Amino acid sequence: MALIRREEVGMRILGAAVMIALLQGGAAVVAQSPERGREIFQSTCVGCHTIGGGRLVGPDLQGVGRRRSEAWIIAFVRHSQQLVAAGDSAAVDLFREYGEMPMPDQPLAAEDVRGVLAYIGSAGAAGPAPGLGVAPATEEQILLGRSLFQGTTRLTNGGPACTSCHDVTDAAITGGGVLARELTTAFSRLGGPGIRAIIADPPFPVMQRAYRDRALVPDEVTALVGFLGLVGAQQALHQPRGFGPRLFAVGVGGSVVLLVLYSLMWRRRLKGSVNQGIYDRQIRTT
Amino acid sequence: MSATSPKDVRSQIAMVFHLDKCIGCHTCSIACKNIWTDRKGAEYMWWNNVETKPGTGYPGKWENQDIYRGGWEVTADGVRLKGAGKPKSLTNIFHSPHLPVIDDYYEPFTYKYLDLIESAAGDDQPTARPISMITGQPMDIKMGPNWDDDLSGSPDYARQDPNLERLSPGEREAMFQLERMAFFYLPRICNHCLNPACVASCPSGAIYKRGEDGIVLINQDVCRGWRMCVTACPYKKTYYNWSTGKSEKCILCYPRIESGQAPACMHSCVGRIRYLGVMLYDAAQIEAVASAPEAEVVQRQMDMLLDPFDPAVIAAAQANGVADSTIDAAQKSPVYKFVKQWHLALPLHPEFRTLPMLFYVPPLLPVMATVSQVDRGEQSRQINPVGKHWPDTWLYDTTTKELFGTIDDARFPLEYMARLFSAGDSAAIAGCLKKLMAVRLHRRRETVGDVAADTVATALADTGLTPQLAEAIYYLTSLAKFDDRFVIPAAHREQATELLEFTGDVRGATGFGFKAGSAKRGA
Repeated sequence: MALIRREEVGMRILGAAVMIALLQGGAAVVAQSPERGREIFQSTCVGCHTIGGGRLVGPDLQGVGRRRSEAWIIAFVRHSQQLVAAGDSAAVDLFREYGEMPMPDQPLAAEDVRGVLAYIGSAGAAGPAPGLGVAPATEEQILLGRSLFQGTTRLTNGGPACTSCHDVTDAAITGGGVLARELTTAFSRLGGPGIRAIIADPPFPVMQRAYRDRALVPDEVTALVGFLGLVGAQQALHQPRGFGPRLFAVGVGGSVVLLVLYSLMWRRRLKGSVNQGIYDRQIRTT
Repeated sequence: MSATSPKDVRSQIAMVFHLDKCIGCHTCSIACKNIWTDRKGAEYMWWNNVETKPGTGYPGKWENQDIYRGGWEVTADGVRLKGAGKPKSLTNIFHSPHLPVIDDYYEPFTYKYLDLIESAAGDDQPTARPISMITGQPMDIKMGPNWDDDLSGSPDYARQDPNLERLSPGEREAMFQLERMAFFYLPRICNHCLNPACVASCPSGAIYKRGEDGIVLINQDVCRGWRMCVTACPYKKTYYNWSTGKSEKCILCYPRIESGQAPACMHSCVGRIRYLGVMLYDAAQIEAVASAPEAEVVQRQMDMLLDPFDPAVIAAAQANGVADSTIDAAQKSPVYKFVKQWHLALPLHPEFRTLPMLFYVPPLLPVMATVSQVDRGEQSRQINPVGKHWPDTWLYDTTTKELFGTIDDARFPLEYMARLFSAGDSAAIAGCLKKLMAVRLHRRRETVGDVAADTVATALADTGLTPQLAEAIYYLTSLAKFDDRFVIPAAHREQATELLEFTGDVRGATGFGFKAGSAKRGA
């Protein structure tokens, strides 16, 4: 319930921010308090970023105001890929550092971003991100996670199963979706807290919409994180080995061995006709 | 009849072929071909064929089960199929390793007759070239279904006869001496065995023996074409149809039998060698008889066939659902007379242990010469060594004391006949032939009168015959009319139909006989 309320609030704020951005036209500057910045941060950014809690999906934002210019931050938050495409060295470095996973564009007005920055500046070290201290999933939870991922167990709030859009390489799962990223390496790329944050509070617009009124309950989040951890750990086992010419040689050699074996097993089979001697002595005209 | 009371009495349509009367005309084969196997995929099949003995037959060397692995053998676990059965069929399910190939039968052919009519005028007569019925291309005819016809003594056929194996080289050579050379014909159809190897071998369960008359049939809807039956049948009388992908065999013309007609091969037989009738037998003994020692198989099979006049047998048959009309037919059966009453007919290759229900009266070939071994050393020494002479020691003497000689002087060693008809028991063959000879002597005295009365009396007494019995044998052999030779019981198909459906359902509807609705007549 808390989750839902927070999201509703967030959406309302987002809506308001958009309205303001449309209406302002540079004239009405609404002063952004750190309080509003906190709300936006809690609803939008917390999935991937911490303030002094270490890196999550994205970088720790403590002291970001000192590291980058305000204009750069605003531009990056709204259209990070534009900066990357334009060849901005700082943006490109960040993009590479974080596994070339683009930061989703945030439809925030410049004022809102400033508010968030103000909040970040005032918040100081907020301690570790939520979920960092959560115990790892038990085996049962991992199995529950697999079943939730496939959709054989329904999510409590009726959200769509992960497999609708995502696929993983797992012995039990076939035919996962191809609408979104393949998640086999998600755990090793993003880490447990990062995955947890994304599942609990999706930063991606499509995922946000899909789970808007159907957020996952914490147990389900733990189960799915555990399952993705298992998939990541087993990934090495699913990698096909390349045998090269050896495979061909083994195939040819195996065929020869089988043919020899068969001809020994069935060595007393009938070969040719009992009348062959008669035929061989006959004169042929054609 | 058997010493113990019969437990499971069933009826079987059985047959007798009288080989002394077969002239080898192949009319039976053609009648069968025209009715049943003149079809695509069945061109090479001859459900009925006629072979020359000694010879290799069709398909080549079919009697040699070291090649084809047909029939049953007695093992520590009882009687088992030689080349099929569950473990063998499973491991060889996709290719049976002992199947005959088309060249073991022959490549079927026709002739391009239209060339005779439609060829343009030219310097040469047009010819009708042989065309393969498999490839449709011109071919060289290499073999036929009766390629060994009348070729006794030929190295390729007669001398390759598997039944010669037990004969000594001297006996074998004597058989094929030019003046002594003889042969007889062996017409063969499916034996509709009591212990059919084809039924036992079928992985699909498509082959069955009809309860009411023992005819062995392949259900074409169930057959999956594994061809285990082709290997299992020691007589090679199931055939694989390459067009339908199913196996086929002689159906004993059951549509004709059901309507009271003789099978086509029997109906058309110009020598009237074929007899057909019902036999009652005790099905409870089948396994015991099939696993009996080889020397006993024939006698045990004969014991298994029951006396249809015995009240105990009749009661057991009725209790088992055998119709009264069938029991009546069994009492009139010519087969019962030949096989059980007169002991004149024997099954073909009983050592295959399928308990065949087609019996053969062995041929009493003309016995008008003797063969003895003589020392020609003195004579040879007198001949100039440059001169050509035959070093063999056999004397072939056509002067006999009696008109017919004795069966011990038969042109074929009894051992050869015994390999064919009695699993090697020469005494059984001698018994049949002596009876045939006694009947012949009796009739010679009746009609011509140049045989002494005591000779006839001795011959009849030796074989346990009376003049009345000899007359009966003579009648059924030489004078029998159609209804004497073929005693076909009513098929009672209505009972079989009533097992499956209630015929009253259609009473008063469109009338009996319509299973689907018929079009209404009138406006």
